[in-house]
Parts: sequence; C-alpha cells; structure tokens
Amino acid sequence: MGFHIVKRDTCPLWKKAGFYVVAVLAALVIGGILLFAMGVDPFAYYSRMFTMGMVGNKIAYKAFENYLKVFVPLALTSVALSLAFKMRFWNIGGEGQFILGAIASATVALKLGPTLPNAITLILMCLAAMLAAGLYGVFVAALKARFGTNETLMTLMLNYVALYLLIFLGETKADWNFFLQEKSARPVFEDFSALASFPRIMLGKFGLNICVILTFVIGALVFVYLKYTKHGYEISVVGDSTGTAHYAGMKVNAIVLRTVFLSACLIGLAAAFKVGTAGVLSTAITEDVGWTGIIVAWLSQLNTAIIFVVSALISMLHYGSVAAAATFSKVDSSFANMLQGVILFLVLTADFFIRFRIVRSKKGGSK
Amino acid sequence: MPEQYAIEMRGITKTFGSVVANNNINLNLRQGEILALLGENGSGKTTLMNMLSGIYAPDAGEIRIDGHPVTISSPEDSKRLGIGMVHQHFKLVDVFSAADNIWMGREKSGFALKSQRYSEIEEMSKKFGFDIDPRKKVRNMAVSEKQTLEIIKVLYYGAKVIILDEPTAVLTVQEIEKLFNVLRRMKEEGHSIIIITHKLNEVMEISDRVAILRKGEYITTVNTAETNEQELTEWMVGRKIDLNIDRPTVDKTRPLLEIRDLTIRNDEGAVAIDKVNFYIRGGEILGVAGIAGCGQKELCEAIAGLRPVQSGLMIHKGDNIVGLPPKAILEKGISMSFIPEDRLGMGLAPSLSITDNMILKNYADTPGPFVDRKTGRADAQRVIEELEVVTPSTETPVRRLSGGNVQKVLLGREIKAGPNVIVTAYPVRGLDINSSYAIYDILNQQKKDGVGILFVGEDLDVMLALCDKIMVLCHGKVMGVVHAHKTSKEELGLMMTGALDLTDRYEDKPAGIARDTNITEEHLNAANKEGEN
Repeated sequence: MGFHIVKRDTCPLWKKAGFYVVAVLAALVIGGILLFAMGVDPFAYYSRMFTMGMVGNKIAYKAFENYLKVFVPLALTSVALSLAFKMRFWNIGGEGQFILGAIASATVALKLGPTLPNAITLILMCLAAMLAAGLYGVFVAALKARFGTNETLMTLMLNYVALYLLIFLGETKADWNFFLQEKSARPVFEDFSALASFPRIMLGKFGLNICVILTFVIGALVFVYLKYTKHGYEISVVGDSTGTAHYAGMKVNAIVLRTVFLSACLIGLAAAFKVGTAGVLSTAITEDVGWTGIIVAWLSQLNTAIIFVVSALISMLHYGSVAAAATFSKVDSSFANMLQGVILFLVLTADFFIRFRIVRSKKGGSK
Repeated sequence: MPEQYAIEMRGITKTFGSVVANNNINLNLRQGEILALLGENGSGKTTLMNMLSGIYAPDAGEIRIDGHPVTISSPEDSKRLGIGMVHQHFKLVDVFSAADNIWMGREKSGFALKSQRYSEIEEMSKKFGFDIDPRKKVRNMAVSEKQTLEIIKVLYYGAKVIILDEPTAVLTVQEIEKLFNVLRRMKEEGHSIIIITHKLNEVMEISDRVAILRKGEYITTVNTAETNEQELTEWMVGRKIDLNIDRPTVDKTRPLLEIRDLTIRNDEGAVAIDKVNFYIRGGEILGVAGIAGCGQKELCEAIAGLRPVQSGLMIHKGDNIVGLPPKAILEKGISMSFIPEDRLGMGLAPSLSITDNMILKNYADTPGPFVDRKTGRADAQRVIEELEVVTPSTETPVRRLSGGNVQKVLLGREIKAGPNVIVTAYPVRGLDINSSYAIYDILNQQKKDGVGILFVGEDLDVMLALCDKIMVLCHGKVMGVVHAHKTSKEELGLMMTGALDLTDRYEDKPAGIARDTNITEEHLNAANKEGEN
C-alpha cells in the first residue's frame, strides 16, 4: 500500500485559481508564524502592509504615487524579460542592462539637460538608455549566435560588470566624473531632478506620472506583438524548436538578435523611467527589478496581462513592507523578500498539484 | 495442479491521467517459451512490460513469479526477481567499455575497478555463445553489437525472464536472423522470453505463443502454430484489413531532381554522403534503404538547404539548388519532412497549435506585420477533415496529439503547399497499421498527381511494396539502385551491409544518372570551376 503520483489530464480554471490562492495564503500563514515568533501581531502587520500605510493617512495619494514608482520599473522589466524568455533565451542580465540604461540616461540628463528643454531631454534620455541597454544585451546574443556561448552565464556575469562600473562612478572623486556633486567633498551622486523630470497629470492632488501610462501602453503593445504579429510568431517557433525554425526558412540568428535587443531596450527604458523620476543615480538604482522581474515573468507564465497583476502584487509586498517597517521597528523591510521567496516556492508547489494528483495505490483487480 | 508459469500478470490496470494504458490485462509466460506480445502503437505493450521491469507500478492487479505474488517497485526489485529487459532505446553509457557498462550496475562491486572484470565478462559471454570485445567502447559499436551487449548485461545479472522491446527495428535482415538464433539458444537453456514487435512475419517465425493487446485491452493468447498473419492482424486492429500496399503505375516525367556527385559532411565533419548520384522523376517513389545513420539524415537536410554541401550538384528542373537558403528551396516546390526518433524534433513546433504549425512555412507570405491565422485555421480544418486527424480542435498543441496524428498534420501541411518533390524520411515511424496505410495512401495519391517522392524508410517489406525503385546506402555510398519488383529483401540486406555492390550492373548506363538528364555541360563546368577554386 502506498501513494503514487498520477498526471492530471485537465484542471479547470477555478481549481487552478484555487490552488494559487491557497499557495499565497499558506505563504502568508508561514510569514505570520514568523512574525508571531518575533512578538509582532501578524494581523496588525499584514493589515498595515497590504494597505501600504495608506489607511488613516492624510497624504495617502502620496503613498500611492510612491507605490507606482516601485511598480513601473518592475512591470516594464518583467514584460521585457518575458520577450526573451518566450524565445527560451535566458536573459538573467536585467540588472546589468538596467544599470547601463540608468547610466546612459543620467549622462544625457547631466550633459544635455542644462541646454535642452525638458521634453527633449527626456526623450533623449529614453533613447540613450534603450540603446545602451539594448547593445549590452545584444552583445551576449551575438556571442551566442556566433560562438554558441551560454547566455545565462554571460548575462549573469555582465550584471556584475555593470554594477561595479556604477559603484566605480559613484565612489571615484575626479575632475572627469560629472556624475558626482562638484561641491561635496565626499563622493555623492549629482541630483538632476531640476534638469529632467517626467511630467505628471494632476488628478486632484494625485499626480499620475506619465511613465505609468506609457508602461501600460507598452505592455499592451508587447501583448499584441507576441500574440498577433509575424515577429511574435517567429519568437514562439524559435523558442519551441530552433531546428523547426531553421527548417521553416527562418533566420534564427537574426530573430534572436532582434528579440534580445528589444528585450534589453525595454529594460533600458524602464531604467530611464526610474532615473527620470528619481532625478538621481544610486548604486541601488535597480531595486533588484532585474532579479524580481525574472520571478514575476515566471509566476505569470510569461502572460503579459498577468505580469501586470503579479507586478502589482509584488510591488505591494515590497512597498507595503517598507511602510509597515515604519510602525513595526522589529521587522525589517527585507521581510518582503522572504515572503516573496515563500510565495514563489508555494506557487511552484501549487503548479505541481495542478499538473499531478496523488492517489492511493489499490490492490486487487479481477482474479 | 494448475500449470506453473514463469510470470503471471492478473488484472493489471495502469492509467495516466484519463488515459487507460492497460485495462485489466492477464498475461501468462510459460517456462522456457518465447511469447510474442503483439499490438499496435499505443496498445499498451511497453507500459505492461515496464511494470515487469519496475519502471511503473500498476494501479491495480497482481504479478506472480513462479506462482508467488510479488511487488515490483523498482528496477532493482525486477533484477533481483530475475527479470531483465532490453529496451528499445539502449540504456548504455557511450564512453564506457562493454565490460564497464555491465559492471556499473553490479551491487557489491567494491570501490576499485579491477582489471579482472574484462576476463570475467569475456568468459561469461563465451559461455552464452556471444562474441564481444569487453574493452571496446560503446560509442565504437554498431547497433547490433550494442544490442548484444544489452542482452549479455541482462544474462550477467542472472535473468531467467528476458523481455525485448522491438529488438528488430534497428537491425538488418541478416542481423535479425542472428538475433533469432540467439533467442532460440537462450530458450533451449531454459530462459523464458517475451518479445515485443509489430512485425507479423517475425512473430510467426520466432514465437511459440502470441498475446495480443488492443487499445490497452487484453484480447487473447494463441499458439503461433495454430494461427496466421491475417488472423493476428484482425485481432490486433479489431477488424478486417487489407494488408496489400498499392503501387499504382503512373506516367513518369523527366527527372525533377537530379543529384550528381554529391558529398556532404556530418556534424562531426566526417563524410556522411560520398559522391552520390541519383534522380527522381515525377510520378515515382524512390526508396532509400540503409542501416540507421548511413547518411539519410544528412541527405535530406542537404536537399532542404539545411546543411551545407561539400561538393556536387543538386539540379531541380534544370536549376542548381546547391547553396540556396531553405526558403528559396521551399519556393521551388521541394518539400522535406523528416520524422526523427523523438518524432517531434524537426518540422513541427510541438507546443504550438495545429493552426500555428500549418502556417509555419508560409506565414511570411502575407503582407503586413500581422500573422494571418484565419487562413491557417481553415487549412488546419481541411487537413483534419481530409486526413482524419483525431484532435479536439485546431488550437490543440501538436504535442498533445498521438503519433499518427502528428505525422498526418506534418504531411498534410507539406502536401497542402502543392510541392513537386517530396522528400520524406520515416513518415510511418512508430505508427500503427491503420495510420501507416493512411500515410501510404497519401503518398500514392501525390505520386498519381505527378509528384516525385524520395522515401527514406526502415521497413524493407513496405519499401518493396510501395516504392518503384530502391536506392541502397551503405556508409554514405550508393550500393545501387534496384527496381523494387525485381529485387528481394535478402539482396537489399546484403547491399545495406556493403557486401553486394550493384552500381556497375548496367554497363551502358552509370547508376543514378538519367539518360534524359537536365544537367548540362554548363552545370558541370560551373561545378568543376568551383572545385578548382
């Protein structure tokens, strides 16, 4: 007697959704036990976290604006990564591409910002960031196409090259280094928020940053691109089987280069949005969106629409934990990272139960 | 007292999801007999045997060995109970020697590799009458040697019951004869053998009894001496079926595709196709026979433009297609479909829907940036109806379909494009009788429409019946092109192993060069010039 695993044929949508909801709830329970062990009331903490400190707050609209600042780069990066992942190109280099994009757009802001009007500076910042990040990504794709290198390792290592370049720029006090404040004796990144800043559409007191709208527009475009265009079709064929793509007469290398360039470009754009909103560089400018974006893309099973929902939830987790940390000093805001990890783990478990079920072995049959 | 069986399976049921692979199967194996397990693809033969070898556990039912009920929950259990299985796809480590492949599965073999393992295994294989070099690496072995090694391996572990899963699929006629002699000898020594196959002539030749499965159900077990091929087919398929393959006579056209002095290298850089000459006319099927891996794949890929050509000419209706990109070759009306061993590797994108697979070769032809799925869906619907593809809808991913239906989708798409040359490799690989005959009908219909067909196959009986001419390859060289109605399996077998070379059979006509060729001096001169550069 024992148990064994049997593959499910189909799983109705409500059941799938049910499994995922149970997984997320279970993750919250595990987090709750941890909070309880630390002597924090889990209910109070969670309610603070999920309302992101907006309830009973006079400037709640401010909190929502800040929440969107977390959401935009994450959503756009996840959408961008899903483009490459759909082609089974494992772009783990979101971080590096984001950083290069950030450096490029900051360069434009600092060098051209003083002379050009705000709108033109912003457009140039976006283009520069897209080009820099795109080239950084396509470099790896070209190596893969030409020499068959492993893109996972290459993009991963280039993340650190980019990160240390940024740290170098942030810590080297020198005449040439226009990224730093001239007047400060300590190395501090120069603030350029006065030179270039994305405009906001005011809805009462609440200012809707134009980046939010652009992100949704790009999301919709990517959805259509992947689903209905010839390019999107080529991406899914190459992702499914390169042999078949060759056989169908597709120029596989060109498709790979094009798609990776596009993917990295959009990550660069996310960086430009971030830099153009924050108005200053920082060594933590990415806020790990290159990593978190991978998780979001997979949790959403590369579906563009679901990416937006999942990014919203994960951003809520991150921003909420920062808000909650203000009240609960015992709980560091990295609690969100832990919770995110548990959720990922349990959602994968839920995936298993969606695909398989466990049944009891029977003895017998006709004698 | 009831008869004591080597193996008794009672009421075995195994399901995968909602698919019932085995339903209430009863199977008995007598001591010292050869039992053939016969059934179409997907009838549950391999699943049933995998439960004996410990790969799957039954959902319900009982297995008895020598009258005692047993639980087999792992391959180790199976080994301990004296059951050995030779799988269809060999389970050998390529870089290990023969002896090490046997040695590594041994329990208590100690920490160090001792050199006496070579002599021990050599002695043992001599005892059973095999001739094998224990130091030879598996990757240097021919297919039949690997199979012998697999058999020695199960004997080494003291198997009393030996299961062979489609052992003859990869062998030549002569090698099959050798294998059967080995099986007969093992039977005399008291081993009980189950052999899975769907070749009826082999069943009749080797087995004592035949057990038949159909769609996961146990049908019956009969004594081989008391039955015949027609009766077995009816049990297997569930209805009467005509076993003859048609070979319609069609007026042939001038050569459509001519191959002259073609040399192609394989992925490792070795010569895979060596100065090959042949031609295909419209309205004929040219078979290509050869042991697996004799350059068939490289030849197909080169014709489709997927593999660079070292030297030589490929002339299609008077135009040289060497060096053209795959897309341009497609546009000339040359269709290539290759069914690899995993059946999905080339020609189809398995996770995409039937519709998406239909538009694979012509999606780029419509204007504008968007994919035209409407036409694709209509095409998919037509292929589904005309070729009787069993599928829930046009949007079902291809990998969810069963093998026969996958191959129908592939061929359906190729034919839909209206090609004038069809290159098809192993189109019935792994298909059951019904689906195979459906595919032969499709090919014959194309032949009647004046299409030239290159048919790379494995089953010589089928090729003899279906093809007009058969070209035999051996290590990339042509051993001759023979008329299918004038040759025999034995002759083909000898040519496949390289023992018989018929290229110079006709003195007045070099083999593989058409009298009314489209190849001109100009082509040859151009090719020579290129060779000089």
